[in-house]
Amino acid sequence: MPRPQPAEITFSIDGREVAAPANMMLVDAAKRGDIEIPVFCYEPKLGQPVGACRMCLVEIEGIPKLQTACSTPVKDGMVVHTQTERVRDAQAAVVEFLLVNHPLDCPVCDKGGECPLQDISFGWGGGRSRFIEAKRHFQKPLELSPLVAIDRERCILCYRCVRFSQEVSEDYQLILQERGADTYVATFDGHPYVAPFSGNIVELCPVGALTSKPYRFRARPWDIESSASVCTLCPSQCNVTFTVRDERVLRVLGRDNEEVDDGWLCDKGRFAYQAVHVEERVTRPMVRDGGELRPVSWERALSEAASALSRARGRVGAVVGGQTTNEEGFLLQRLVREALESPHVDSSPLGSRSRADLVALANPRLQATVSDIEFAHTVLVLDCEPIDDAPILDLRIRKGVRRQRTKLVVATSRPSALDPNAVATHRFAPGEGAEFARALARHIADPLPDDDAALRDFARSLRAAGDEVVVVAGERSAVEAVALAEALGLAEVSGAGILEIPSGTNGRGLREAGCVPGSGPGYAEAPEGLSTPRIAEALSKGDLTAAYLLHVDPIRELPGRGTWEGALERATTVVAHAAFLTEGLREHATVVFPAEGHPEKEGTVTHPDGRLQRVRPAIAHQGENRAEWQVLADLMRALGVDPGVLTAGMAFQQLVEAVPFYAGLTLDTVGGRGVRWPERAQATSLPDVEREGSAVGREEARAEGEGLRLGTFRSIWAAPEVEHAPALKFLAARQRAELSPEDAQRLGIRNGERVEVGANGTRVRATVALRHDVPPGTVFLEENVAEDGANLLSGEPLVEVRRS
Amino acid sequence: MSTVPRFGHGSRVPGWDDAVDLEKDPMEVPDPATTPVPDDLRAQIEHHLSLYPDPRSAALPALAAAQRVHGWCSPEAIAQTACVMRLTPAYLSAVATFYDMFHTEPVGMHKVYVCTNISCSLNGADDLYERLCQAAEGDEDLHVQHFECLGACDIAPMASVDGVYCGPLDLDDVPRLLDDLQAGRPPLADKQLRRRFSADPAVNTQEFRPGPGNEPIVAAGTGGTPKPPLAAGPPMPADEDRTDQPAAVEQPPDPPDNPDSEDSADD
Amino acid sequence: MAQHLLFKDIDEPGLSTLEVYERRGGYSALRKALEMEPEDVLAELNASGIRGRGGAGFAMGKKASFLPKGSMDKYLCCNADESEPGTFKDRELMQKSPHMLIEGIVIAAYAAGINRAFIYIRGEYAEQADVLDAAVAEAERAGHLNGLPLVVHRGAGAYICGEETALLDSLEGKRGNPRLKPPFPANQGLYQGPTLINNVETLATVPHIIAMGGAEYAKLGVETSTGTKLVSVSGNVQRPGNYEIELGTPSREIIYGLAGGPPEGREVLLWFPGGSSSPVLTKDDLDLPYDFDTMAKAGSMLGSGAIIVVDDSNSVVDVALKVAKFYRHESCGKCSPCREGTNWTVKMIERMRAGEATPMDLDIMASVQTNIIGNCLCVLGDAMAMPIGSMVEKFRPEFEAYIEARRRELDRVTDEMPEPPLQVLQGAR
Repeated sequence: MPRPQPAEITFSIDGREVAAPANMMLVDAAKRGDIEIPVFCYEPKLGQPVGACRMCLVEIEGIPKLQTACSTPVKDGMVVHTQTERVRDAQAAVVEFLLVNHPLDCPVCDKGGECPLQDISFGWGGGRSRFIEAKRHFQKPLELSPLVAIDRERCILCYRCVRFSQEVSEDYQLILQERGADTYVATFDGHPYVAPFSGNIVELCPVGALTSKPYRFRARPWDIESSASVCTLCPSQCNVTFTVRDERVLRVLGRDNEEVDDGWLCDKGRFAYQAVHVEERVTRPMVRDGGELRPVSWERALSEAASALSRARGRVGAVVGGQTTNEEGFLLQRLVREALESPHVDSSPLGSRSRADLVALANPRLQATVSDIEFAHTVLVLDCEPIDDAPILDLRIRKGVRRQRTKLVVATSRPSALDPNAVATHRFAPGEGAEFARALARHIADPLPDDDAALRDFARSLRAAGDEVVVVAGERSAVEAVALAEALGLAEVSGAGILEIPSGTNGRGLREAGCVPGSGPGYAEAPEGLSTPRIAEALSKGDLTAAYLLHVDPIRELPGRGTWEGALERATTVVAHAAFLTEGLREHATVVFPAEGHPEKEGTVTHPDGRLQRVRPAIAHQGENRAEWQVLADLMRALGVDPGVLTAGMAFQQLVEAVPFYAGLTLDTVGGRGVRWPERAQATSLPDVEREGSAVGREEARAEGEGLRLGTFRSIWAAPEVEHAPALKFLAARQRAELSPEDAQRLGIRNGERVEVGANGTRVRATVALRHDVPPGTVFLEENVAEDGANLLSGEPLVEVRRS
Repeated sequence: MSTVPRFGHGSRVPGWDDAVDLEKDPMEVPDPATTPVPDDLRAQIEHHLSLYPDPRSAALPALAAAQRVHGWCSPEAIAQTACVMRLTPAYLSAVATFYDMFHTEPVGMHKVYVCTNISCSLNGADDLYERLCQAAEGDEDLHVQHFECLGACDIAPMASVDGVYCGPLDLDDVPRLLDDLQAGRPPLADKQLRRRFSADPAVNTQEFRPGPGNEPIVAAGTGGTPKPPLAAGPPMPADEDRTDQPAAVEQPPDPPDNPDSEDSADD
Repeated sequence: MAQHLLFKDIDEPGLSTLEVYERRGGYSALRKALEMEPEDVLAELNASGIRGRGGAGFAMGKKASFLPKGSMDKYLCCNADESEPGTFKDRELMQKSPHMLIEGIVIAAYAAGINRAFIYIRGEYAEQADVLDAAVAEAERAGHLNGLPLVVHRGAGAYICGEETALLDSLEGKRGNPRLKPPFPANQGLYQGPTLINNVETLATVPHIIAMGGAEYAKLGVETSTGTKLVSVSGNVQRPGNYEIELGTPSREIIYGLAGGPPEGREVLLWFPGGSSSPVLTKDDLDLPYDFDTMAKAGSMLGSGAIIVVDDSNSVVDVALKVAKFYRHESCGKCSPCREGTNWTVKMIERMRAGEATPMDLDIMASVQTNIIGNCLCVLGDAMAMPIGSMVEKFRPEFEAYIEARRRELDRVTDEMPEPPLQVLQGAR
């Protein structure tokens, strides 16, 4: 869809001639002339202005009544006055009205010092009070959720929080109850406001009515420093500002970047910072000694790791977790390939994507951006669940549907949170996403008369609205999405393409940094190596003897828990970088290096749309932590290879030199907003790799026989950071089995009952959650939970469910 | 001490002082797999949903239907409505609490709204309301509420009894009203608004005589579908009994006791 | 006596049925309109000069012509949320002559190219809504709807839903909050489509305009206020009720001639010429002709045509409190001047009643009304501020006497109690 390209106009405000884009709201246009018009309810991120607070009344020549500047689009030749007596009186009157029932308890208010109501009362208020009646007094603060406290006395009913809930996150949980002066912000029947994005309301509140419980009274605005960085807890890579006091992160705020996060954060990104400062965190290197992991000095840990790895030279398998930065990934593949002479390094949990596939997927002409989602004619959500896999994209998709009338079509195995917004949905059996994408691509390229009617209808919905189609694809089906994009001709359409959500935060950057078997930095040819699942098998068989686990615990996170248990049991050396000793590491790691928390890290990550972004340290390293690029460089040195890296900047420099399409990038050019490499001229240096026919078939076990088909998903809350952050603990994912009411009835199982899901003697315990939209014959389990993870059943397409 | 009503602690709005219950789960759109809805309520809501291009428009009629079934807009009633409409209960709760006719606290089955706005008040509505409240005290079936202008100032002071407008009322009508409700009779049949001729002397000539097919009586109710006519109430009192009326309003003659006429009115 | 259009057959028994309505000539105007081009129907409406009967008094034909041409979905909403205190004319029309309204709706929809219509009727009018439902079903069976889907939508008790944009929000199933204007409903109304919103009486007049011709209709009434108008007279009058008058009829003739005036021995203290939202007039204004412009010139408005008469047995302060409480109750709460201003005003008047006020509070109260007027999102705030402001202005001596009397009566003035503390009033920056 064409994006608005407004013409530049000039208008006059308080006697100044100011240039601004036509139809920009007067409040924003005034800023171009350095004139501030006070606002409370206006927040363009929330959608159309509502004009409720009436704070921004200004005089416009030719219009008899005062107008709200937040809702008046600026026109050429408009003459505006913000300093006349009439305007000042009206603004002072509005401040007076807003303060009628406001308690003015600023000295004990957590918002004090950074409160728009304070500022505006001072700047535009009458400076006196004529209200001598009794003010309202209520219980305060009250709990709105485990994360947010509400003080209804202070609320000025600006509507921002409820608009967020209703028009941005669309969870419709936060509402206004009653009417008029009795109106108050509430939830239904005393249910807590718990939703993936609920924390944004704290940031939106222009008074001290909604405060963050983890931050309340931890600091005053003059005690704190702010530090800009990027959240690396999921592939959305939202831009954030850390609030720091005495080397502790106390708060995370959004740092608006329209091309990345649109100014929002999920609650994981907002509150999981707490996990950086918990006691359970690994802050010293550890070595297994007498069967136990014991803290040791850095020197000892490094030398033990180096000598053990050295013994396994040529037989080391490295698995790289998603939170690894580009520099760390780059240095790791050098460590493994150069120093340990082993070609086995992989960053994808699934494996089996050829270099040619990855190059095809990186094709700049097929690359959709985050904002393309908003303006596309149609968005296809393919084999992923944005709310869990990259939450902020869920908001962007909703925004497009709501504001730009983008059409949404969803093809997933598990019912999606976006289904109600979709014009068409398709459910395929778990694990058959790639197959569906291939069938869809084939049908579009070459429709056959006996093609399935459902497939035909879906393809029609996909193409009905226009050429600009954005495919948001999960990693499992991304390669097939390339064929689909080619069939749709998306390479020739601007604003269209694929946006792959990788399974790890920096999945894309790690690929480009060379953490792929057979593919070096910049997708250069490299000696063939083993993929993640093959590494597990090779370790089990003894073909490999050492495992290097950079930010990953395979026992918890990767498919094939059974294989991995055998693999790590048999491996003689398991070197891991970890922030928490999760189950697999506690049992199997021989050396553990502490992993940096994201507020400690320095480096770059690459957004799924190809945007390099800087992760900058906000706090000093906690405990004895060291920078991990440095740990990797030290290991290389200990193994006899000079890394040539003395600073994080040098690591970046090496990466840039090794990846042709990053050439010429500096940390300065990446800056605070990031740089998309597919948009740079150097993008043409992406290597040309011949693809061998159609994509490599996935080795999904076919479902045959009795039982329910098993699908798995990873919840947004399934992360060690969530389990360890005190504020978020209550959200930590626990295993549940999603069943259709039909199957539950057949099996005699009720909602909320404890069941065992299993096959061939392996069982996972879970609580039943009935969902009417789960296709009968299917059961869904969660991955990456602390206990009873679904990866115990990997490779078992059919399971039985019974009451425990 | 001041006698000014303070809306301080213990405010008149329930909810202001309430925290959420952290033991509860967040309330999303109720899943049909776990939310049973009575069939008749589901049918009514689905009928309303079918009337509008945007199904959300059915929120008011759907809540009204739920209130008829449950007696009030209880959390359960709202959750059931939300389940059928595929909305969050919070959304419907926001709507329900906005409108005066939705009761989000338990109330009696019979709802008596007494208009206490200016015109009624000038004609004694405040006393009437007080008397009704006293009379209804302890009667769990009866909900008496003062209401803003009900749009019947011509029969001030008046009340809406289960949707039927009655007036002008005097204090003696209070026990009669309660009797009628208890006996299940139409309330104050002689004072129902629909029996009145226009006040305009130019048209109120009684030139027209009621004949078969001319009886305009339609049952009152709040339903979305018309109901069959009520049986006609008792005969009107003779005019001489009504000399106390401030307004020179003539009453229509007795409605014809002709069953045919009622049938035809149904067409 | 004035010519009667709307009320001509109003008391004919059975008029609410199609049979009787047709026998009295009903739906002939629709047949006539359907034989004309839509533009010509619109031209007749324009020629009639009829101004909206709901309160704002905007020319109906002009409003209909604002709707954009084109094939998009367009909507007509009949505003039957008659909630302005003192107004009950639409109720009588809908109850007794529902087909007249339906006929008007079908003609207006035809003229403006509208393909879907709603009657938004206030929830309290349950009896009338049932009558309408039956009439719509009858009209549809008889083919009188000309293919127009027409739904009777019941409100649920909120005065603000009579405001046209709040009505749209409510009809969309939301809380009835007014919207910002622009965009105006004619461009983006119901479901974001072009929408024509008219009052019941306005639409019910349409068949008469078509039947007699716009120019003929314009001969009724006075130049800028053409036609006949239903006036609801209530309060302290002997014969309250609806009267159809020609606009321009002297007010005294309506209040005394038709409605019988205040009871024996009482005089008019004040009267609201157009519902409780209109600034009050006094007995000195009784000889003004009752039409849109004269009422506006007198500093008030004709509004919905609801005259509320208050006689001299009442205190103006009690009336003010009733009015203020009503608007506080009905304020939707969206914009701050209205939400807080109505609340504050009620508290001030309650303080007067409690004997805790001084005449200085009248200045604050007047200033609060000034601060509300013109600064709100919709007109509800103004609807309180204008009558309250006019009462303070026109009856200041009465207010002062009342305040003084209450202070003495309730013994609030003692030697120990100083005047209201100045430091509280002025405060410090």
